[in-house]
Amino acid sequence: MTDSIGLTPYLLIGALLFVCGAVCMATKRNAIGILMGVELVLNGATVNFVAFAHYNPAFEIEGQIFALFVIVLAAAEAAVALAIVLNFYNNHTTVDVDTAEELKG
Amino acid sequence: MPEFLQSNPGYLFVVATFLPLASFLLVLLSFGMWCVFRPYRDTEYGAVLYHLFGGDAPGRTPAYFAVVAIFLAFLCSIVGFGLYTAGFYHVEKKEKEVKDIRASLARPENADKKKELEEQEKKAEESLAEVKTAWENAWTAHFDWIRIYAPGQNDPDRGTVLQLGFRIDNLNALMFVMVTLIATLIHVFSMGYMADELAPTYADHQVHTEDGHLHRRGRFGRFFLYLSLFCFSMLNLILTDNLFQIFISWELVGICSYLLIGFYYERQSASNAANKAFIVNRVGDAGFIVGLIIIWTFVGSFNFEDIFRQVRWPSRTAEGELRSGAKLVRATAEGAPTADGKQTLVADPDGDQVILYPSDLVHTKAGAAPKPGTRIEAAASPKPDEHGSMPYWVLVVAGLGVFLGCVGKSAQFPLQVWLPDAMEGPTPVSALIHAATMVAAGVYLVARVFPLFTPEVLIIIAYVGAITLFIGASIAVVMTDIKKVLAYSTVSQLGYMMLALGVGGWTAGPFHLLTHAFFKALLFLGSGSVIYGCHHEQDMTKMGGLWRKMPITAFTMLAGILAIAGVPTFSGWYSKDAILAEAIGFAGVHHEHMLLFLLPLVTAGITTFYMFRMWFMTFTGEPRDLHVYDHAHESPWTMTLPLMALALMAWLFALGWYPWDASASWLEHEIEHAQPIAVSANFDLEHKFAVSYHEVTGLIVLVLVSLGFTFAVLLYYWRTLSAAETKEQFGRLHTFLSNKWYFDELYSAVVVRPALVVAHWCKNVDLYAIDGVLHAVAYATKWVSWLEGRFDNGVVDGLINLLGNVTFRTGVRLRGLQTGYLRSYVLFLVLALIGIVVALSYVVMATAAP
Repeated sequence: MTDSIGLTPYLLIGALLFVCGAVCMATKRNAIGILMGVELVLNGATVNFVAFAHYNPAFEIEGQIFALFVIVLAAAEAAVALAIVLNFYNNHTTVDVDTAEELKG
Repeated sequence: MPEFLQSNPGYLFVVATFLPLASFLLVLLSFGMWCVFRPYRDTEYGAVLYHLFGGDAPGRTPAYFAVVAIFLAFLCSIVGFGLYTAGFYHVEKKEKEVKDIRASLARPENADKKKELEEQEKKAEESLAEVKTAWENAWTAHFDWIRIYAPGQNDPDRGTVLQLGFRIDNLNALMFVMVTLIATLIHVFSMGYMADELAPTYADHQVHTEDGHLHRRGRFGRFFLYLSLFCFSMLNLILTDNLFQIFISWELVGICSYLLIGFYYERQSASNAANKAFIVNRVGDAGFIVGLIIIWTFVGSFNFEDIFRQVRWPSRTAEGELRSGAKLVRATAEGAPTADGKQTLVADPDGDQVILYPSDLVHTKAGAAPKPGTRIEAAASPKPDEHGSMPYWVLVVAGLGVFLGCVGKSAQFPLQVWLPDAMEGPTPVSALIHAATMVAAGVYLVARVFPLFTPEVLIIIAYVGAITLFIGASIAVVMTDIKKVLAYSTVSQLGYMMLALGVGGWTAGPFHLLTHAFFKALLFLGSGSVIYGCHHEQDMTKMGGLWRKMPITAFTMLAGILAIAGVPTFSGWYSKDAILAEAIGFAGVHHEHMLLFLLPLVTAGITTFYMFRMWFMTFTGEPRDLHVYDHAHESPWTMTLPLMALALMAWLFALGWYPWDASASWLEHEIEHAQPIAVSANFDLEHKFAVSYHEVTGLIVLVLVSLGFTFAVLLYYWRTLSAAETKEQFGRLHTFLSNKWYFDELYSAVVVRPALVVAHWCKNVDLYAIDGVLHAVAYATKWVSWLEGRFDNGVVDGLINLLGNVTFRTGVRLRGLQTGYLRSYVLFLVLALIGIVVALSYVVMATAAP
C-alpha cells in the first residue's frame, strides 16, 4: 500500500505530541496532568515508531511491535504513577506537586 | 646418691659448696614472698601467708637455715677431707712400693734376681697407674661451660673453652674444713650477737635524725642471707680448678663484703667504709683482669693444670711425675720466622722469650731442662702438640696483675687502707670475712698460681709482704679501738703469709693462713663478745679489769693472743716459725735481701707487744670507766661456746709430735703434699738452708717475743713505765702511727683529690660546654619550630581552608538550583535535551559538510 502523504507529516505530528507532552509536564502543577503529559510524550514516540516502520523498507514489523511495547509500558507506568499519586495524596491531602519540595537543596 | 659420692668423693665438696647457696636462695625466696604478701596482710589468706613468711617481727628462721646449711657443709667437708687423706696415703704407699723395688733393682747383690724384680716393678707400676687414674677421676671434674669460636667456625671440638670444674688437693680440702668450721661457729655466735636485730623496731643510736635516733626494722634475716651467700662464694673460690671461676667467686665475695661492711648503711661511716673497700678492691681487680687477659691470649685456657703445664718445663709426662721439672725456660729468637709462622728459639737463661710447652701430655718429653743453646721450634699459634712462646715481660706483667688482685683482696701495701675501715661492719663479719677467710683468698690465690710467677714477681711479693707486715704491726701498737688493733694485726699477719710465699715458703704461707684463721677469728669474736658485753663500747681506754666480769671471754682470748704471739705448742708458733725459717733461708742464700728476714723478726716482737697491750688494757687493772664496767656482763652461751671451740682449735690445731718440735706440725706436712713441683725445683737451696736454721730462728724469735711481752707487762700491767710518758717521749712517732702513716692523707692528696678536681672539671665542661651547646641547639630547635608553626598555620592551612571555602561557597550557590519543584527538573531535562540535540546536530552538520 502506497500513499502520497509521506513521512514528514507523521514526524511533525509526533514532534507536536512530544512538545505538547513536554510542555504539559513542565507547566502542570497537578500530578494527574503531568501523568497526561507523560502519556503524550510516549504517544509522540509511538507515532514515530509506526511511521518509521511504515516508510523505511529495512523494517518489517519491528515498529509496530515497539509501539505495542510502548502502549503496555504506558499502561504499567500509569498504574505505578497513579499509585504514587494516591500515596502522595494521602501524605499531603493534595495532588499539587509543588507541595512536594522535600528534595529542595 | 651415696653410691655416686662413694665413687666420686670430690662431689662431697661440691655439695658442701652448694648447701649455703641453697640456704641463701631459700631465704631470699621467702623474703620475696614476704614482700609479695605484705600488701595483703589485712585479708584473711594474705595474713596467713604474710605471717608464714616472717610477719611483722624479724624471725630466727633464716638463721636456722643458714646454720644448718653451713653445718652440713662442714660435715661434708670433714668427711671429704678424711676420704682424701686416706686415699692420699694409699697412693703414696703404692709410690713407695715402686721406689723400693727400683732401689733393690739398683743394688748389685740383687743382680741374679733381676728378671724377677723387673717383673715386680712392672706390676707395681701398672697398679700405681691404675690407682692414680682412679684418684684423678675421684677428685677432679670439669665440664665445658662456654665455648668461644673463631669467626666463621662452628666446630664443637675446636675453639677455646671456659670451664666450670673443681680439683681437690690437700690445700683446698683443708681450706674447706677451716672455712666451714669457722663459718659454722661464727653463724652460731652471730645468733647471739645479732639478737638486737630481732626487734620489730631497732633504734640505731649512732644515727641521729631530727627526732632523736633512727628507728628501723631489725635486719636479722638479712644478715644471715648475706652470710650464706658469702659462704657459697668463698667455698666456690677454693673449690675450683680454673682462674675464671675464681674470678667470679672473687667478685662475689667482694660484693658480700661490701654488703656486710655497709650493713648499718644509715651510718655515714659504714657506707663510706663499704664504698672504700669496694673501690680499693677494684684497683686490684683491674690488675687481675689484665693478668687474666694475658693468660687467655697466650695460653688459651684458665685451667691451672693447663697453664702450669705450658709455662713451665714439664714436670709431668704421660709416664709420670718428674721432681726436677717445672722450671721456666727462657730463650731468644734466632733468625726470622718461616712462612708458616715457625720460629727457631735458642734456650738462653737471659732470653726475652718464654717457651710454652705442648698442652697435650703425650707430646711432652721430660728430662733435664734444656741446656743453653738448645734449639726449639715454636709455632706462632701452637696446636696442642706444638711448642709456643711468649715474651718474658708479658709473663711478668701477667704475674704482677694477678698479684695486684691479691694485694687488693688481702689488704697488702699499698692497698691495705680499706681493711681497718671495714671494721664498721658487725663484728662476726669482721671475724669471718675480714680476718679468717675472704682476706686470706689473696694469699690462697698466690699459692694456687705460684708456678705462674717469675722470680721478679716473687721478690716483689716478698717485699710487699714484708712492708705490709711491718706497717700493720706498727700502727696496731697505737690504736685504742679494740677492733682496729685486730684489723691492723690482720693486715700484718697477711703480710707474713705473702712474705712466706714470696720467699718460696709455699707450705709456710698457707699453713699460717689456716692457723691464723682460727686464732684471728677467735680474737675477733672475743672482741665482739667484749663489745656486746660493754653495750657497744669499742674504746679500750674505757675498759679495764673486765676479766672479772667476763672470764670466759678473757681467757679464750688469751689463748688467741698466745697463739698469735707464737708461744710454743700454740698453732701460731708452728706457722710463724715456719715463715721466719723460710725467710732466713732466703736471706741466707741471697744476702742482699736480709731485710726480708729482719722485718718479720722485729715485727714478731711488736706483735706480741700490741697483742698483750690490748689484752692488759681490756681485761686487767682497775676499770677506767666505771659506767662501762658496772654494766658489763658475760655473753650468752651461743657466743661463749664458739669462743671455747675456737680457743681449743687455736691452741691444738697445728699440734705435732713431739710438741716441742717446731717443724713437726701435722698440718704443715698435710699442706706440703699439695706443694707444686715448681717450688721445690726453684727454691731447693733456700729450703735446705731454712730447714737447717729452723731451730736457731725459733730461739731468736722467742727472745724477741718475750722482749715484746716484757714491755707490754711493764707498760700496761705493772705500769712501772708510764704509758702516757712513753707516748710523750715518742710524740712525733705516736702521731705518725696514730695517723696510720698518713696513708689515707697521701691517697687523698695523690688520688682522691686529683680525681675530684678532674671530676669537678668534667662537671664544669659538662655544665657549661656540653650543656651550653645542647641548650643552644634546643633554643634553635624551638625557634625553627615556631617559624615552622607559623608557616604551617598560614600557608598550608590557608590553602586547605581556601579550597574548603571555595567548595563550600560553590555548593551554597548551586543549592539554589535544587528547587524541589518537579516541574523545574522537567524543564531542565527538556532544556538539556534540546541542548544535546542542538549540539549533536551541529556536530553532524560539521562532519557531514564536505
